[in-house]
Amino acid sequence: MKAIVLTFSALTLCMLMAWRWPTAEINEEGEKFVSPWNLTKDKTVNEVLMRLGDVPLPHPVDTSMKWVSARAGEELVKHGFGRGPGGFKTSRQSKHFVCTSCHNLEKEDPDLSVSDPQARLLYVKDQGLPFLQGTSLYGAINRTQFYNGDYRKKYGDLVNAAQNNIREAIQLCAEECAQGRSLRAWEIESILAYFWELGLKMEDLIISEQEWQEVENALQGSGDKEGVIRLIKRRYLAGSPATFVTPPKDRKVGYELEGNVENGKLIYELSCLHCHENGRYAFYRLDDSKFSFKHLDRHFTRYTRYSVYQVARYGTSPLNGKRAYMPNYTMEKMSNQQMEDLRAYVKEMRK
Amino acid sequence: MAKRFFSLVVCLITCSLLSAQEKINQTFKDTRVINAQSVETLAKRKLDFRVSHRFGDLAGDNGGYKTFFGLENASDILIGVDYGVTNNLTIGLHRTKGAGSMPDGNSGLRQLLNGVVKLRFLQQTADNKVPVSMAIVGMASLSTAEKIEDNPDIIRSFPKFAHRMATHAELLIARKFSDQFSLQLKPGFTQRNLVPFEDENGIFSLGLATRIQVTKVMAVIGDVTFPFSERRTTANGFYTPIGFGLEFDTGGHVFQINLTNATGLMETDYIPYTTTNWGDGEFRLGFTISRLFNL
Repeated sequence: MKAIVLTFSALTLCMLMAWRWPTAEINEEGEKFVSPWNLTKDKTVNEVLMRLGDVPLPHPVDTSMKWVSARAGEELVKHGFGRGPGGFKTSRQSKHFVCTSCHNLEKEDPDLSVSDPQARLLYVKDQGLPFLQGTSLYGAINRTQFYNGDYRKKYGDLVNAAQNNIREAIQLCAEECAQGRSLRAWEIESILAYFWELGLKMEDLIISEQEWQEVENALQGSGDKEGVIRLIKRRYLAGSPATFVTPPKDRKVGYELEGNVENGKLIYELSCLHCHENGRYAFYRLDDSKFSFKHLDRHFTRYTRYSVYQVARYGTSPLNGKRAYMPNYTMEKMSNQQMEDLRAYVKEMRK
Repeated sequence: MAKRFFSLVVCLITCSLLSAQEKINQTFKDTRVINAQSVETLAKRKLDFRVSHRFGDLAGDNGGYKTFFGLENASDILIGVDYGVTNNLTIGLHRTKGAGSMPDGNSGLRQLLNGVVKLRFLQQTADNKVPVSMAIVGMASLSTAEKIEDNPDIIRSFPKFAHRMATHAELLIARKFSDQFSLQLKPGFTQRNLVPFEDENGIFSLGLATRIQVTKVMAVIGDVTFPFSERRTTANGFYTPIGFGLEFDTGGHVFQINLTNATGLMETDYIPYTTTNWGDGEFRLGFTISRLFNL
């Protein structure tokens, strides 16, 4: 027995002596060194801000909670269900929508410091993405304001809790926007964990060479750290502005802007068909047939639920027995010019 | 011949699976035309709540003003649901009153529970590599009517439990020729477990259905089913079930209004038992309301 204990102790001691802390690496010359942290384009914006001494974002993931994982969050965002205890699927969060019905998961603005719908339309076309009512979830973790601007008109006091709290914003989106069940605490944390994987990177920001040098200097301790933090934060929006607009006063006249057919085609294909093609998210189906264009054109100027002016600017409401509805397009998500472009395309295609 | 047809179907399915081409959707807008099933299946997790009605004879001996052109009678009524298990597999359960009868007045099965399974195994593609959509339908009707004892001459004597049942299977072959025009062929076989004396249990049939889109919302639809049976002739008092009507799709709702000489709503009913004649004014107004829900 004594021999066994001695042998075991000796082996344990040997293993401990053989252990090397991973921070030290051996270079080609066989010397030990510690890897320096370099500012590169693929570094996350949050990591850089932390190194500059910025205040941490107010939504770290609570990993102490059971079943929290970024993969479960990804499944919830993309498919509407998560994997809970034992890897079993949870019930679908919503019968009608998933997050990607209205939100992209990729960068969708060429310049993240402004919300320009036309620049976004051309950018998503090049990236093969849809053009949607919701703001991309890419970089959601870097934002600190949610349900901004006129969303109070739509959701009233419900936005109070959500405006500065991403968890509440996710829950509001689940219950009201997706018309589904409440998310459980671990599901929200999982979604948050997935969002952290979609954080902005330095390469996403438009920064000049000189500004890049300023960031590097600040990181090395020789620059104005607070100034550089402000500089970085000016390169992306802390929240998505939302301005609700009404249909034109005279729908026959429209917004009195000349429509661009080519641009309208992009909007029809990347926006309308995203939900309405073959009934993906909507019961009302659209396609490239003349019937669809004639129907849309005939109703454009009317006050019906088939009027594009009506549903794009006001949206539709969830009703008992028909909870699937259409969210409205704010000015930042579709400009008046783009509405006229769409109208011009519809008119052209009905001929 | 059968071997060649089977090879062709296998070849088309392979083409369909390999083809990344855009598929043609909405050959028909609804899962039924008028009397006939259409090649359409429900999208996954969609529930279709359906109510169908066939009124009494519009004209003829049993129609006219005395029944307010049939509106005061109900030949058959259906209430039930269909559900999309996958995008290509739909199952359904429907209750119908049952309406068919023999020319001598002996009634067919009544008070029916109808189970339907439809599998679409081929879908037309835009590049025409797969020129048609195809589906198979299996249907079973079970009569829950009370057994009538001591009268072996009528169907409702039900000597065995199996005699309460009738089944139907069919192959649907459809093509959307353009945004305006779709056509469907449907060979089928109907089996009744108990039939009147000298009638036949199994009946082959061939159906034709069409849809002509007029506007985005409205279409003209029609179908006809020819039973292949020596007994099912006009001389014996049987007629070909023919229907035509208008269909309105308002997004989530489909509403059909139609005229047909068939009294029954299910294949196990109208194929063997249509004894009413268009020429004698024995056709009726019918409608179907379909409402889709997300589940």
